[in-house]
Amino acid sequence: MKKIWVIAQNTFHESLRKRTLYIVLVFGLVVIGASKFFSFLTAQEELKMIQDVSFSAIEFFGALIAIFGALGAISSEIEKRTIYTLLSKPITRYHFVIGKFVGQILILLVNFLLLCLFFVGLLLFKKSVPNIEIFKALFLIFVELLLISSITLALATFTSDAFNIIFSFFLYIVGHLTSYGRQLIERTENIILKGLGDMLYTIVPNYENFAIRDKVVVGVPVSWQYVGKTVSYGLIYIVIAILIGIYCFQKREV
Amino acid sequence: MALIETKELTKIYELGWKKRVVGLNRVNLQIEEGEIFGILGPNGSGKTTCLKLLLGVLFPTSGEALIMGKGPLDVEMKKNVGFLPENPYYYDYLTGPELLKFYGRLFDLAPETIRKRTGELLELVGLNDAKRLALRHYSKGMLERIGLAASLINDPKILVLDEPTTGLDPIGCKETRDLLLRLNQEGKTILLSSHFLSEVERVCSRIAIFHRGNLIELGTLKDLLVQYEASTLEDLFVKSIEKFDQQHPA
Repeated sequence: MKKIWVIAQNTFHESLRKRTLYIVLVFGLVVIGASKFFSFLTAQEELKMIQDVSFSAIEFFGALIAIFGALGAISSEIEKRTIYTLLSKPITRYHFVIGKFVGQILILLVNFLLLCLFFVGLLLFKKSVPNIEIFKALFLIFVELLLISSITLALATFTSDAFNIIFSFFLYIVGHLTSYGRQLIERTENIILKGLGDMLYTIVPNYENFAIRDKVVVGVPVSWQYVGKTVSYGLIYIVIAILIGIYCFQKREV
Repeated sequence: MALIETKELTKIYELGWKKRVVGLNRVNLQIEEGEIFGILGPNGSGKTTCLKLLLGVLFPTSGEALIMGKGPLDVEMKKNVGFLPENPYYYDYLTGPELLKFYGRLFDLAPETIRKRTGELLELVGLNDAKRLALRHYSKGMLERIGLAASLINDPKILVLDEPTTGLDPIGCKETRDLLLRLNQEGKTILLSSHFLSEVERVCSRIAIFHRGNLIELGTLKDLLVQYEASTLEDLFVKSIEKFDQQHPA
């Protein structure tokens, strides 16, 4: 456990030195800040707009940080050859993969909290006290970001950076469209297509499960039971992704 | 029992469709406790491959690599090993003491032990004045020296060094040689790979010559010089490689 933490801390410190991270963060803050300029709308609509834009910005820019952070966490060790020395130390490869993931959790958490603080600050500035539903939506976005990060990290253990970026973004988009895809497949009568669709629906994580923002923005409450179920759903995918990452990295020569 | 042992160790690199390169071909080595053992060979002869297989960075195609009777992935075994890779690369945003602290923590060393060892090792490799300097500002020779210090943080029984004097000036080379002899006198077993013949000649008790992935000669320098009727290690090195090439044309 201690070794995982040592690797995680090092990963976190390394990430803090990357400029891309700050650029993405600044863009996120700018987009959230820009949402307040919709002052030509009525006060009620303006708040909805701030919430809607902010949730989307936190999720999108968080996804960028999750993908690019996880991508660099493993490939930079291999490219810079720091991995030779690291693997000669008394650590196992699963220490390495889990340590890298914990490091990513830390960096995601810091970025996420900064974006959230800015968002909440903006709401308070508009004299709107954020309710618990807003925090439920934010929490689910964070679990979604962890899931995106774990998948990219798992892919980084056995694929090239280029493939990983394309596949991670593809999965991010497809993961938000699976519900629509499911509806389309239900209408088809082709058994093969139906089977294939069902299989894809089961394998590809449904990121829309984490998107409760539409309900929150219009004031529809979301039950704690749904939040609990969705978090469990996310955690299962995260554990599977990390286990795949460990398995692949144990087979990989560096 | 030998401290370091390879049994029929073979590594074949798969470089794509039907393209294979033999990195190491059925190598049998036994290195005893207290030895300074040198692996010599031209570039691409399999020296680094052999060391990476011993440390579990690469996996063998067949055969076995053992250190203290344990496989390369054994965590307990690795606590007794220090490794300096060729052209060492480190996290360049760290300072020397931070790097040593990072590796020391991976060895589960107590903070007090790390502090003490860091002071001693920086003094030993002559980097005390560069304590506050990030590694990205280090010269090649300084990186080699901090690498040597990092390989010693756990006070290992076995030291595996891949080209330890690359990038060092003549004084640095001499200091490293003296240090290796001193560490050996303190009881450390040293396995070093090098293509600097003079370095190997001065410090190693036994040598192995690798060529095209094969172990072509193994023994004490004295015995091999007699066997090849050679006057210097350079002469011996060239003759052994020429003999192998004649017997095994590419």
